[in-house]
Amino acid sequence: MDRAAIVEANFRRRVGEGDLPSVSPGSGLTPEEAVSIFRAQVLSRVLDLESRAMQAAGEGFYTIGSSGHEGMAAVAHALRCTDPAFLHYRDAAFQIARAGQVPGQSIAWDLLLSFACSSEDPISGGRHKVLGSKALNIPPQTSTVASHLPKAVGAAYGIAAARRQAPEHETWPRDAIAVCSFGDASANHSTAQGAFNTAQWVSFQSIPLPLLFICEDNGIGISTKTPKNWITATFSARPGLKYFACDGRNIYETHAVSHAAAHYVRRYRKPAFLHLRTVRLYGHAGADVATAYLPTAEIEADEEQDPLIVSAALLDASGVLPRAAAMEIYDQTRARVSRAAAEVITRPRLKNAQEVMASLIPPPRRDMPFNGATPAQRAAVFGEELKMQKEPQPMSRLINWALHDLMLDYHEIMLMGEDVGRKGGVYGITQKLAKRFGPDRIIDTLLDEQSILGFGIGLAHNGFLPIPEIQFLAYLHNAEDQLRGEAATLPFFSRGQYTNPMVVRIAGLGYQKGFGGHFHNDNSVAVLRDIPGLILACPSNGADAVGMLRECVRLAREEQRLVVFLEPIALYPMRDLAPGDRVWMQTYPAPGTRISFGEIGQSGDGTDLAIISFASGFYLSRQAQADLGAGIRVIDLRWLNPLPLEAMIEAVRPCQRILVVDETRRTGGISETVMTALAEAGQHATRLAAEDSFIATGPAYGATMPSWKSILTAARRLLV
Amino acid sequence: MTTAILICPGRGTYNQGELGTLARTFPDPALLDAFDAARAAKGEDTLSDLDSAAHFCAAKHARGDNASGLIFAAGYGDAQSIADDIEIVAVTGNSMGWYTTLACGGAVRAEDGFDIATTMGRKMHDDGAGGQILYPHMSKTWEPDAQVKADLLALVDEIGARAGCRLSLSIDLGGTLVLAGDDTGLAAFAAAVPQKDGFPMRLPGHAGFHSPLVTPVSEEALGHFSPALLRQPRLPLIDGSGQIWWPHAADLNALWQYTFGDQVTQPYDFTRAITVAAREFAPDLFIITGPGTTLGSSVAQSLIAANWRGMACKSDFQKRQAEHPLLIAMGRDDQRRYIAKEQ
Repeated sequence: MDRAAIVEANFRRRVGEGDLPSVSPGSGLTPEEAVSIFRAQVLSRVLDLESRAMQAAGEGFYTIGSSGHEGMAAVAHALRCTDPAFLHYRDAAFQIARAGQVPGQSIAWDLLLSFACSSEDPISGGRHKVLGSKALNIPPQTSTVASHLPKAVGAAYGIAAARRQAPEHETWPRDAIAVCSFGDASANHSTAQGAFNTAQWVSFQSIPLPLLFICEDNGIGISTKTPKNWITATFSARPGLKYFACDGRNIYETHAVSHAAAHYVRRYRKPAFLHLRTVRLYGHAGADVATAYLPTAEIEADEEQDPLIVSAALLDASGVLPRAAAMEIYDQTRARVSRAAAEVITRPRLKNAQEVMASLIPPPRRDMPFNGATPAQRAAVFGEELKMQKEPQPMSRLINWALHDLMLDYHEIMLMGEDVGRKGGVYGITQKLAKRFGPDRIIDTLLDEQSILGFGIGLAHNGFLPIPEIQFLAYLHNAEDQLRGEAATLPFFSRGQYTNPMVVRIAGLGYQKGFGGHFHNDNSVAVLRDIPGLILACPSNGADAVGMLRECVRLAREEQRLVVFLEPIALYPMRDLAPGDRVWMQTYPAPGTRISFGEIGQSGDGTDLAIISFASGFYLSRQAQADLGAGIRVIDLRWLNPLPLEAMIEAVRPCQRILVVDETRRTGGISETVMTALAEAGQHATRLAAEDSFIATGPAYGATMPSWKSILTAARRLLV
Repeated sequence: MTTAILICPGRGTYNQGELGTLARTFPDPALLDAFDAARAAKGEDTLSDLDSAAHFCAAKHARGDNASGLIFAAGYGDAQSIADDIEIVAVTGNSMGWYTTLACGGAVRAEDGFDIATTMGRKMHDDGAGGQILYPHMSKTWEPDAQVKADLLALVDEIGARAGCRLSLSIDLGGTLVLAGDDTGLAAFAAAVPQKDGFPMRLPGHAGFHSPLVTPVSEEALGHFSPALLRQPRLPLIDGSGQIWWPHAADLNALWQYTFGDQVTQPYDFTRAITVAAREFAPDLFIITGPGTTLGSSVAQSLIAANWRGMACKSDFQKRQAEHPLLIAMGRDDQRRYIAKEQ
């Protein structure tokens, strides 16, 4: 027999016959509050059952339930509906209880729509079954294990930061706290551990971080048990993280302890860890049969702990609700959910790719008009450097000035990363910013890329415009899910209602002479190119870098886009194209000028040969161009995702031959897409790409990538 | 068992055609006597006298306390007249129909509900400032156009923000907006929109219900009525913000505060109430109690706006209604007989 049916039969029998556990009367909740929580628990349970019935009928598509975790209704009751909640996927009861705090909600209907993957699901539009609601301040989360914890840290940081520097699009009240829930198994994930550590690291320094972690400890992760007392042992005495614990099956105790924890976080602006002991009923998901890996006796022991039965017992013992009335609530809820489900399955679903993709790109946002900083304000910030701006400068300095101007123009911009403040960045790109704009806006983070991106995502949730820095491209990879699974999917799973616009600066690519090897010269960008909705920009010179960075910030501010600005390290200090010519230094572009998204660069207008490249490849191709003469044009793609393919094809159309120079790898590199697009446009091209290798340290630093000489050779071969 | 949502109408539903309603349909003579006695004790016309008048007299019948009393009694009486094989799963109402809703759902005694309705009607008549105007945003075929509605609401906001003008949404009533304002605000709106089929239509004798114009009435009511009047509802109640007040779980102090506070001074979203009723309770029927039948179109339009059961326009509704009635107006004898107890 299906365990869900057994659990329901147990509830009916035990509540019906009065075979209830012995409990003490509860206190701290009014009778109405207690019943309200019970109602949310019942609805959560009934929706779980309905989701299974819908799936059995081929009308529902998600059965990971909240059964056993219904105590989260009492947690929700202890919080404010304006406290942003980043929820575990077993927290339907939390969302239901919170819906009761906001007028006009149709929560049963909305959750049923999500089971049915209807395009009318108000949060995801049928793209995924997620908990979430704009009205309820519950941003949708994916199922990636614990990946929502770093941004919850960022959100808490952003709530506190808004007191010091309020962004135009501030979302949450200043006295809100961020809430983040997860399972006991997820608590072991390195992403989660990084978030706990970051919260503690912040708290330890007495920097405000109003964040409540909630660990729902049901003692098992799919089939692997959590060691007994593991959560208590590992979390009860961490520095900077106050520990609270309660029995999640007892709504009175859960409410009281949650309230105390929330009060602590709200009052002291410090993080806390709420350990909520729960049970898991019916296995991990509909398809997971727990009897395959657990003894029946253990499963039955868990079922004995059914929180719904405990709640009925508590309400009865407290004189709040006779068990007959509890049963009546259950039966009525069962009936109305069943009726609503019959209607929900008639609602439309997504039909084609266009509909699925409609929310990949968030909607534009209206910002207050602003004409830019005044000359006096610029003079106050730049001082003597204003004169230097009229002289040619290398890319590193020009990006630095662009960041200054952007921070001067937009007070909601915050920079964060390893060594970006006091040191001013490994390559000096963020020099003087901390001194000029203060530590509230330039944050020296701890060594954890997931946390850096989590800061960015969370701050963006509260209206800031973060510019997180990843120190080297190779360091992104341990954290890339924060972009792929979290930041990029947020508008997708929320119909654009939630967004996290930001510009992630990453120093990367190869060609640093003899420095660093692979870890400081990573030439793989594939990981950034197949993330739907993400914009990847990569300049080849200082003036372009300024124009493109300004455009990236505009894209984030006005169009709420997720942007990565990839800075070619080897070009930071570049001065000359030919020895001593100073061609690769430029004067600082006038404030307000930009290079538009998708606009390509072009050097020369010859038609004998077009070289398509970007970043250092463009620089090297320009060197080759000088030797090849007037018949050459060199195209700088500038934007690597999405690639400006139409503009590129148009630019090379008059040319007789095409050479694609790609410093990223042959496999998975830029040139794969470029070659395909050219072939599809009927244009033959030859490519020169980096080998499928890591970069070496020492004299062979450039051996695996195109060089001026190899470009020249390839070009001459084509021109013969 | 057939399930149903009960919907209680608001002001303006007892007119010439409704004379004699109570005499014909009120199921509990003793309760009607009690209502009459309460009014007689205050020197007011009894409901029986008003209901049995030979002619409808707007000055008398439409006056706040009289109209409210008649409408409350007719609605409450109808709720008691529904056959036992119909399960009422929730109750809602429009505007003063909220007071009837409270009584039908068991949150106040019938006599207290009657007192609340008539007292609030009297206070509105005596102290309520401003007036109401109706303007449709749906076409004659009842096809929703969110942009038209949004544009009208933006116009209301714009006029309401003008110096010397008071104008705001009073009731979101299916395909019609009911606006509350002072004379200047209402006139400005009337001058700014196309005239069509008698709209904009000023509602005679109505104050600026559900707006800050009647804040003094709200304040008086909060001082006059005790929270002790309220008790746990027997049935779920859906209010004018779409909030559901559940049995055993209603915060009675909050319910009192809403009933005499926000319910009086903030816009009443009847459309949302019907949407929530449909989606959260998915009933077989929507039963509109008497008196009158005018709320039927607003309920149907609200369901169409929610695309309930795929209905997208008036003809969709009419087709469904003809095949298998979804909406029953107890003010219509031909529909009432489907669901009323045999007398």
